[in-house]
Amino acid sequence: MTTDELKNLVADNSVDARGTACPGPLLAAKKAIGSIKTGEILEILSTDEGTKRDIPKWAGKKGHEFLGTLEESGYFKIYMKK
Amino acid sequence: MTLALFSGSIDKLTAAGIILSGAAADDMDVDVFVLLQAARAFRKDIAYDTDKLSMAENPHLKAEFMESLEKLNVQPWTTFLKEARELTNVKIHICGLAGKIWGGDKLEDFIDTADDICGISEYITAAQEADVHLFI
Repeated sequence: MTTDELKNLVADNSVDARGTACPGPLLAAKKAIGSIKTGEILEILSTDEGTKRDIPKWAGKKGHEFLGTLEESGYFKIYMKK
Repeated sequence: MTLALFSGSIDKLTAAGIILSGAAADDMDVDVFVLLQAARAFRKDIAYDTDKLSMAENPHLKAEFMESLEKLNVQPWTTFLKEARELTNVKIHICGLAGKIWGGDKLEDFIDTADDICGISEYITAAQEADVHLFI
């Protein structure tokens, strides 16, 4: 997805894992994915650099679609579709 | 996955907790075998008190390590274990001999996340059947 497409996405659930170190954001994503339906979108907010590589890898293995990452000031937003 | 947890060192217990979390996110079944020094760390009266746990290879770095964990908001190793158990099938087995060496005879002597006290044959059998085997 392009940056503009990501900016226009409306997430069905959002988890704020900012301030937690690895594996905090991954575990937050794992817990939250159960709360949305197939086809819905999950947003994860993180300040942990490793998460940017961790979540796409995990999502792919679990059969979810990684949509992209948006950089904000001091944190980033990761999007995936269940 | 099987994890042979031999060390009772606070940094290695933390590493084991983080690896378990990753395995839990991946829905892996994990059997943890708590051997020798690790059995001491799993004792109920020791596990939650970091003053009673050593930093085996680098004792002079323990204070810096503990301070960093707190600053980075990293949860205690026992919490990683508890969370992993909530997310996937994690079984924690305490080696019977190790328990006795470190003053724990009964399951009640160890933290609540421990499932049973076992012998070496159970560990070997689980390791033979597992795809991933780690020794910490």
